Amino acid sequence: MVTNQGREPITEETEGAEWFKTQEMLLNMGPQHPSTHGVLRLVLTLEGETVVDCTPVIGYLHRGIEKILENRPIMGGIRYMDNADYLSPMLNEIAYAGAVEQLMGIEPPRRAQYIRLLVGEMQRMASHLVAIGTYGLDLGAFTPVLWCFRDREGILSLFEALGGSRFNVNYMRVGGVLHDFPKGWLKECEAFLDQEEKNMAELETLLTGNEIFDARTQGVGYIDPQQATAYGLTGPIARASGVNWDLRANRPYMAYREVPVKVQVRQEGDCFARYRVRMQEIWESIRLCRVAIDSMPGGPICTRTPIALRPPRGETYFAIEGSKGELGIYFISDGSEYPWRAKIRGPSFVNLQIVPEILRGHKVSDVIAILGSTDLVLGEVDR
Amino acid sequence: MYTGIIADNIGNQLINGIISWSFLQFLIFFISVFGFVLTSAVILILAERKVLGWIQDRLGPMHTGPWGLLQTVADVGKLLIKEDVHASLADKSLFLLAPSVFLAPVIGAFAVIAFSPYLQLPGIALATGIVYYVAMSSIDIVSVVMSGWSSNNKYSLIGGLRGAAQMISYELPLVLSLVGVVMLTSVLSNTGVGTISTQQIIAYQSSSLWPGKGIPFWDFIFQGFTPWAWFFLVQPLLVIIYYICGLAETNRSPFDLPEAESELVAGYLTEYSGMRWAMFYLGEYGNMLIVSAIAVTLFMGGWSGPGVAFLSAPGMAFGWQLLGNLLGLAYFIVKVYFLCFIFIWVRSTLPRLRADQLMQFAWLILIPVTLGNIVITALIFLVLNSLGLSNLFFLIVLGILNFIMLGGFIFIVSRATVATTRHAQAPAILAQRRAEAAQLPERAGIAGGQK
Repeated sequence: MVTNQGREPITEETEGAEWFKTQEMLLNMGPQHPSTHGVLRLVLTLEGETVVDCTPVIGYLHRGIEKILENRPIMGGIRYMDNADYLSPMLNEIAYAGAVEQLMGIEPPRRAQYIRLLVGEMQRMASHLVAIGTYGLDLGAFTPVLWCFRDREGILSLFEALGGSRFNVNYMRVGGVLHDFPKGWLKECEAFLDQEEKNMAELETLLTGNEIFDARTQGVGYIDPQQATAYGLTGPIARASGVNWDLRANRPYMAYREVPVKVQVRQEGDCFARYRVRMQEIWESIRLCRVAIDSMPGGPICTRTPIALRPPRGETYFAIEGSKGELGIYFISDGSEYPWRAKIRGPSFVNLQIVPEILRGHKVSDVIAILGSTDLVLGEVDR
Repeated sequence: MYTGIIADNIGNQLINGIISWSFLQFLIFFISVFGFVLTSAVILILAERKVLGWIQDRLGPMHTGPWGLLQTVADVGKLLIKEDVHASLADKSLFLLAPSVFLAPVIGAFAVIAFSPYLQLPGIALATGIVYYVAMSSIDIVSVVMSGWSSNNKYSLIGGLRGAAQMISYELPLVLSLVGVVMLTSVLSNTGVGTISTQQIIAYQSSSLWPGKGIPFWDFIFQGFTPWAWFFLVQPLLVIIYYICGLAETNRSPFDLPEAESELVAGYLTEYSGMRWAMFYLGEYGNMLIVSAIAVTLFMGGWSGPGVAFLSAPGMAFGWQLLGNLLGLAYFIVKVYFLCFIFIWVRSTLPRLRADQLMQFAWLILIPVTLGNIVITALIFLVLNSLGLSNLFFLIVLGILNFIMLGGFIFIVSRATVATTRHAQAPAILAQRRAEAAQLPERAGIAGGQK
């Protein structure tokens, strides 16, 4: 039933001695596939079950977010940033707001910076929870994904109380944040963090140290540090390959200048290391959230900015450590209300480029294991 | 002339057969098996969703009927009225036949299961017991390959081939683990002739040793119910291996590679919908049931439980016999459902193996271990027998040794996983050491500068 795709047909010459020649199979994985994390399409060339070649095809989720940003007043772009990496909208907003602030030379008040740190770390937790949960599902473990989504639900409920919306929070503003905390929000947040610590310990017992999980992830999809830097990888993928690079620690911005971050680095460079780095980062985020709550300063939450923001002429690049890596915004302003050019440096897009490189020689099952460990969000890849 | 006589004979035999008690027993058995498989599948599907829900901190189906009890009924209703879709380029005859080939042997395999002292096939029909079950369970492979090939879908093809490879590989340790039981019966029979009949294997698991023989109360409880003589105590290693192979045979997690959802969409089931898909699903749950039922029969005393043998002994009144049979049926179903619950539990806990690891596990670990177990069992028997020691002594020694081997088996499996993963990591670690020698380049300053 498998057609002879792209191979030379069996003719009379080739028939004799090489009649038993096997054929490579072209398998089209995606864009509608349970575990390509959205609408990624991988064109796999298979030799049996071994991957010979892989071509990722992207663009199925292209919405032209960068173009939309250029056609909105610079203030109105925040709402559209929510949809770029739809698993970590808060961090996208922080990057966008930070870029505009850098362009205009505004320094947000200290309380706003701490609020950004708090919600940013919670968003990082939520994003990593989804990454770990769906990774478990990719490997066939059914329970982690539901536990992770249950925990993430707590974070989203807190965001709803904060910004009025679970997902497209639209909470950041240029020069600060939209609202102060509702009454009792910090108490709820602390209660959530206590619960989350217990849940994380439970999750660790389920996945970490499981022999099958070890066998599926260890030594699979190795990226060496040179390769990681050469491909411009950032975030947990790079840190799992031994690249000690975290913008929160290496080029601290906002409140991270006052709150030191312990960078999670592992040397193995395989899928298991990437999983471990994410787990450790959740623990680290819980710690950072506690620090932020304990040292939450008073004062205003937003600087006064004109209603119509007119950034000066010039260009700027501002990057934060997103949940997937370096999330950068590049602006060119011509002095009007609209940015002349807005460019998002999406970490998923950059991290995707190494996937064909590390897939070669692995089995079809490993394709899923590796793809899941890179934690791609197609909203950010296609934008 | 002869044909007339033969026909006459056959006719006489048929009439004698049909009006006989044996035929009535057969009819009752047939109907109850059919009912048991179909209702159990429906119950198990609901139970699976509920248990998975509890383990995963959610409720499971709640809206259809009280407490979600009618969910599967609604699902089956939906599947029945769905259009029978098939791909236009599919190999139609094979495609349409495959679900039946999958389901039929599953139901057929129940013929050798003794549900209660009366509810089983009459006479010597059960004599082929284990061999018949093994033969029936192998037919499923044909159906998996048929559906995978005929769907004209690459995911189906990979799933079907994976399924065939997996089921054939795990068939061997499964059979070898059953051989251990047959060896036990041949020892216990004292004549050196074992049995493959499930009925008799159950009988061998009821010891004549029970406390207070002759006291009516102890007689009532322990007659035919002696858990210390069940074979899972004597051969625990075989139970574990049989169960692992059962998981693989039924394509359940962690061996659900043929229908791996995250990799192959739905494997060989990808192109199926409606009632044909439901037949595969039914077959899967029926498979789960038959594997559990055989495990219960061979290792856990079958239908035996307190009061069954006492009440259904010949000479008791019809009412008591009926009660005894119902009790036996209840014990059997409870045991089977308990094993099915473990299936569900395993599914909620473990990730999936990779195809090559799956094969490695079967051929490099399970088959040598089961073969070794056969040799060890025989050696112990020969040694103890030549020393003139009794069967009881043999069972005790074998049981202790088997528990030690079980510990060793678990140790070996965990070590093997660690070793293979280390082996897989070796080149990576080597490359990493080489990379560590070179310093990472400091990244150039970012344009615009960070605040």
